[in-house]
Amino acid sequence: MSMIVTTEKALSKRGQGARKTAPGSSALLNRGQVLLFAALCIFTLFNLIPLLWAVLTSLKHPADAFTIPPTLVFEPTLEYHKEVWLDHNFVQYLSNSLIVSAGTVIISVPIGSLAAYALSRIPRQRSGPILSALFTIRMFPHILLAIPFFVMGSFLNLIDSYVLLILALIAINQPFTIWLMHGFFSDIPRDLDEAAALDGCNSWQSFRTVILPLARPGMTVAALFSLLLSYNEFLFALVLTGVDTKTLPVAIASFGGEDISSLSLAAAGAIGIMLPIVIIMLLLQRHLVRGLTMGAVKG
Amino acid sequence: MASVEIMNAVKAYGDQQVLHSINIHVEDGEFVVLVGPSGCGKSTLLRMIAGLEDITDGEILIDGKVVNTKHPKDRDIAMVFQSYALYPHMTVEENMAFSLKMQKRDKEEQKQKVAESARILDLTKLLDRYPRQLSGGQRQRVAMGRAIVRDPKVFLFDEPLSNLDAKLRVQMRTEIRSLHQKLKTTVVYVTHDQVEAMTMADKIVVMHDGYIEQIGSPLNLYDQPANLFVAGFMGSPSMNLIKGRMDRSDPHQFVTQNGKVIRLPCPVDIDPGRELVIGIRPEHFEVSDEGTEFEVEVIEPTGSEIQVILNLGGEKATAAFRDRLPLEPGDKVRLGMSENGLHFFDSQSGNRLSPDLYMKEVSPEH
Repeated sequence: MSMIVTTEKALSKRGQGARKTAPGSSALLNRGQVLLFAALCIFTLFNLIPLLWAVLTSLKHPADAFTIPPTLVFEPTLEYHKEVWLDHNFVQYLSNSLIVSAGTVIISVPIGSLAAYALSRIPRQRSGPILSALFTIRMFPHILLAIPFFVMGSFLNLIDSYVLLILALIAINQPFTIWLMHGFFSDIPRDLDEAAALDGCNSWQSFRTVILPLARPGMTVAALFSLLLSYNEFLFALVLTGVDTKTLPVAIASFGGEDISSLSLAAAGAIGIMLPIVIIMLLLQRHLVRGLTMGAVKG
Repeated sequence: MASVEIMNAVKAYGDQQVLHSINIHVEDGEFVVLVGPSGCGKSTLLRMIAGLEDITDGEILIDGKVVNTKHPKDRDIAMVFQSYALYPHMTVEENMAFSLKMQKRDKEEQKQKVAESARILDLTKLLDRYPRQLSGGQRQRVAMGRAIVRDPKVFLFDEPLSNLDAKLRVQMRTEIRSLHQKLKTTVVYVTHDQVEAMTMADKIVVMHDGYIEQIGSPLNLYDQPANLFVAGFMGSPSMNLIKGRMDRSDPHQFVTQNGKVIRLPCPVDIDPGRELVIGIRPEHFEVSDEGTEFEVEVIEPTGSEIQVILNLGGEKATAAFRDRLPLEPGDKVRLGMSENGLHFFDSQSGNRLSPDLYMKEVSPEH
């Protein structure tokens, strides 16, 4: 009995000791966290100011929009949002953008995943040069590719078609998708492929039934990055599209410079172009965070 | 059930040969353990049997049929991996039923077989859980369940217990052994732990640097190691191996490299010019007034016995005693050894000398 009491005392002492040391270290931790939080707030604010400016400008009349210093008290209007959506073929440009983006994602992600899986499963001596070559392609200035794509498109009579822009975007996007997915597949132990092979799977079945479900968060990230890249792409869209296939970034650029009211119009357009992406991001946020942290912690 | 025959199997990666003409015969229903230090090629050999590694040369036969070019899924084998390799996105039940699903077996049959295997391995309550919700021992049992559900010809185990803590390892060792006794399936089991090999195997294959050093029953390897490597590898603490030669004047005496004399329990007839290594297992030492004097350096009580690290003119040796001897570091103690615990190895070849070649009848003058 006395021994139990002694042990309890010892434990409670140890607990006190732990509590004694805790305040100092937690105060330090707290101060660090406060500083970090403050820095992140400033950074976030810095990034949000242009967005806020765009939102406010889109709701202001041009006279208010050009007031210096900018005023927060004004009579809000949805006139320019309405005008953008109804009078400027915005819906058509948006649908062009969505078609091109969806086409790029639908082709680029599966091809990238297959290539990345293969590269993650062959010896490093063989995959290394291929990955380096892909990296080089990624680093190549894209502006230099615009003219060759235009020439090829003209030759094949594909200018102002979705196919040409989708193919061009896949070409510049594919190395990134492969690199990204390669990282995810490399984190999946090879033992699982081997266990699947012993359980009766051929290579395709192993990939489809065992590996792919595990790489789903990674694929979501790859899909989102591809979507962002193709949705926001300006240069290729400007060179390779025409009246029928013009995408939103190109269309919005043409809103500027006509008269003073075009600034509010361009701001409303910018908000409009952002909306689909914000909605998609909100819907896939959970997968995005999981995908970005995948492999960081062993489960 | 099936036999496994490995005939002159060779494995090379480019110019580097990692397995050299391996020959092993595993009887139908036998439990064979491949044991050896890291890098000896035991896992590579197991993976060659599984079909996960190509065979550079030679043949592997399962149930009498050459399987060299067969895909792993067509070999009718099951393997338990060191990492368990459970599918993280599937429940225990889905993991276990996966191979049956791939074989397109009837759903009722799948359910019944999984239930039966789960009952054998006490997994019934865990069938709805995911691998991440299981402890190490439970994951291990699921990995075995996934293997037995298929009723394969051969089970392959690749260091399945090395991720478990010591207590669980002993428990799982018994479970695997009792499972084998129940199912009577042929097993090839890889481990680097010689205690695991000794306690589980019907037959042990000791490997080193891509060669087989010795094949035999656990006690056969322990009592009659073929060479210095096996003598040193099997047994814990390992056999004491001391270099030296026989005394020119007295066949009862072995002289170490440092000039110290070890008194032998019987006369030995080996050329005094021949360089030897004498081998004595720790438990074969006994306190004897006529024995050799050692200095006690360290005492390690394990509870069931006392292990004593000894010094003989710079040579280290370990002795193990069941009796709780009142020894202290620095003490001098005279130790003899039992006759059947004495081994001699040729220093150059490393091979053990057969006692028939050197044992003498005790002559009256000695």
